[in-house]
Amino acid sequence: MVDKEYPSINFQRLISDESCGSAVLEESCFYLQAEILNQLPSSLAQQNIHHQHQDRGTKETLISGEKHPGQARGASNRASTVPLKYLPACMQRKRELRDLRNQQRSTIGRWESWRRSQSINMRRLGEHVGGAISSLLPWSHTLHSIEGRFGAGVKAYFVFLRYLVYLNILRGLIIGGTILTPTAMYSRNNWGLQTFQGNDSLLDFFLGSGFLERSPVFYGFYSRGSLELPCFNTPLLFLLGTLSVFILSLIMVVRRTVVGYKHTWLLDNRYNIHMSFKVFCGWDFCIQDPEVAAIKLSFIRNDLKSYLEEERFQLRDAMRTLMERLRLYLLRVFLNILVMALLGGAFTLIYYATLLSMDQQHNWFLSLLFQYLPPIFITLANFTLPHIFRWIAVFEDYSLAVQVNTTLVRSIFLKLACLGIYLFFLIKYIKNTETDQCWENQFGKEMYKLCMFDFLTCFFKAFFVSYPVKLLVSRHPSCWLARLLGQQYFLIPFNVLDLVYGETVSWVGLFYCPLLPYIGTAKLVAVFYIKKFVVLQCCVPAQRMFRASSSSVLFNVMLLLGLIMAAITLGTNLHRFVPSSGCGPFAGSKTVFNVTAVCVDVLPRPAQTAVRYLTSETFFYFLILAQTVLLTSYESRRRAIAKAIERLKDMLVMTSSDKHFLLKQNTLSLRRQRKKSKSPAVAPGSEEASSTPQTLTPERPL
Amino acid sequence: MGTTASQLEKDLLSEYQELTFLTKQEILLAHKRFSELLSKEDRTLHNPRVPMVKIISLPELKSNPFKKRICHVFSTSDTKDGSLTFEDFLDLLSAFSDSATLEIKSHYAFRIFDFDDDGTLDSGDLEKLVNCLTGETDDTRLTPEEMRQLISNILEESDIDKDGTVNLSEFQHVISRSPDFVSSFKIVL
Repeated sequence: MVDKEYPSINFQRLISDESCGSAVLEESCFYLQAEILNQLPSSLAQQNIHHQHQDRGTKETLISGEKHPGQARGASNRASTVPLKYLPACMQRKRELRDLRNQQRSTIGRWESWRRSQSINMRRLGEHVGGAISSLLPWSHTLHSIEGRFGAGVKAYFVFLRYLVYLNILRGLIIGGTILTPTAMYSRNNWGLQTFQGNDSLLDFFLGSGFLERSPVFYGFYSRGSLELPCFNTPLLFLLGTLSVFILSLIMVVRRTVVGYKHTWLLDNRYNIHMSFKVFCGWDFCIQDPEVAAIKLSFIRNDLKSYLEEERFQLRDAMRTLMERLRLYLLRVFLNILVMALLGGAFTLIYYATLLSMDQQHNWFLSLLFQYLPPIFITLANFTLPHIFRWIAVFEDYSLAVQVNTTLVRSIFLKLACLGIYLFFLIKYIKNTETDQCWENQFGKEMYKLCMFDFLTCFFKAFFVSYPVKLLVSRHPSCWLARLLGQQYFLIPFNVLDLVYGETVSWVGLFYCPLLPYIGTAKLVAVFYIKKFVVLQCCVPAQRMFRASSSSVLFNVMLLLGLIMAAITLGTNLHRFVPSSGCGPFAGSKTVFNVTAVCVDVLPRPAQTAVRYLTSETFFYFLILAQTVLLTSYESRRRAIAKAIERLKDMLVMTSSDKHFLLKQNTLSLRRQRKKSKSPAVAPGSEEASSTPQTLTPERPL
Repeated sequence: MGTTASQLEKDLLSEYQELTFLTKQEILLAHKRFSELLSKEDRTLHNPRVPMVKIISLPELKSNPFKKRICHVFSTSDTKDGSLTFEDFLDLLSAFSDSATLEIKSHYAFRIFDFDDDGTLDSGDLEKLVNCLTGETDDTRLTPEEMRQLISNILEESDIDKDGTVNLSEFQHVISRSPDFVSSFKIVL
């Protein structure tokens, strides 16, 4: 490191002491240090495992392995348990290692050898099963090609979509087991094919009225039936099915969120490693298309530049004067009020649309239009407002990342709140006007309409907006309209918002429209193909690519929000409103939860007491207390670990600087020694060394 | 070795399956693709090598800015010309396969990014790496000021023991916290 003109001549490995008296005159510090570094136990351990196959290399490792018995043992121990393919070494080296292991195996006992081969067989079997299962996953080829052209972010969207399909299938299975099968077996209703009647039309398919209303799609179809045991009857199973769907969804979504969260935010906040990520994990090796590669390059460049700029932005932000700061905050407050006003306006519009949609109209077209008015307004608000929010965020003078996030958070709030407000007014209205009819059916119908409308929007947006625009832009690129519209990008956050919205509707509607999971599955499969068409045919890869990991956490957090909202809505509904007396499995009981009380009453007395205790408030206090204790202990453990990490980091820095200091000292003393041994004409050791030159080019462990 | 034959021998195939992360179909496909790269006279040779120029013309590698480094890392050639034998090629595909572990992938990534092969990522390596990522031409490069800021940022974040370079374990430490890495460090034929 000191002198640069080190000669590229042979020099010796400092394996033993006598080789110190080298005949080579000017050794550079650099080589000496490299030599010593090479002999460090840590590098030897690495060498042992993944040394490139060279006779010299292996021999040396063996020799030095003996010098550091502890280290060598560690490495060989590791090497004998890890499967060969897990070693980062070339094929020939792996073969040798395998032969070595086979030799070892002949020396070990029969039991040990049998055990090892069994464990290998088991592992292989597991791999085969895993491979077979993963080959069952649909669309892997499609996902791969999308990833190749649009990067991991867009793929994350499709993986999320696929995951929602699974979730829907799972929900469908639960519903099938707990609601549909008992109804089919014990229902007094006619389960046969629902036939068209005189006044039915195809329109009913979109409105959920007519023959659909009489079909098992809606709540009203299901009745108590002949299954009449106190603890095993249709209503109870109905409730059980819904509850288990919610609990299972909650577990699955939380698990997925936590897995992603653990990786990204929790660690990132403490130890900021954004830049290293961007550089070390920046390139997507799946990319094959040269065009996409060029885009990725420019994306990384822009990303790095914007990040560096953001750093400078923060510097600038820190230097703002009080006056500027005040003005900025005032502006932000004003803009936030504007955002609130926009949101309020949107909510009011939805309220009036809901009121209007309840009016009876005689003209079929007007009736269809009015019936679909709330979904249309919701979609319209969701379509325009996010773009306005994006525009507003520019003026708020936040850094870029914060801008994107605020827009997203506002959009999420808008989307879910719209739905929530719609549901609230809907329930209120339905309850006020239609006490005699089956209000659950009415509610289910609204959910069905939302679901259908969501799908129709997706369909029309793809084939009547995206595709024509793409045709226009590609055929007549000079046309002013084409230039105005420009290239289309696949905006992942907004697309995910649509998915989450659909899922929330499906969760809320589950109770009132039990076939919704099946409809949802079919819808999502169709959406998959439509979106695939949109992405592959109409979109160009975005300049600003989305990171897959952080985005998938974001997706799942949004889904979780949707789930919580759905659970709250459904819980309030079930708790507050009396089930209608004329239809459904709960006809005649005061609240939906009455069926559980009936079941509890027939249980033996100790069980009754236990159940009563478990559902009482006292138990909840204990539960909360236990949770608090658990959380406190985890929190203190986290703090202790964080402290330990800090201390270990300091220690690492200290040992590293110690190492370098010792290295320097050692190198200096070696140089001095060599200078000394050089001055006598023929040093005893040097002659020997030069006669048998162990010529080595400087080599570092790879 | 049966690599020159148009079909792989059965026991060799199972050996490859044991030593790599590839499935049987993937190995056979790799063999087919590799044989296509060989010239006629090469096929008769024992354990033929495909020169680097031909390997990097594969569509899977063509647009990769690290294609030459990848060849050099996986090549067992004594002359360090980046040429690959079939087994080297399988090693490459295995490390980049779907089922390879994070440890394997990060190890090879480190070696690919270690441009001067000295076992650590120093600021020279990092500069070359960043240049690969942003494009090599003058107008796409970062300005020297930006580059300096970026490298000092990276070292600040990843160089835990503060010795001025990023070594393998520090690198793996960073990589292990990126869930994206495994899915993006992938080349599938």
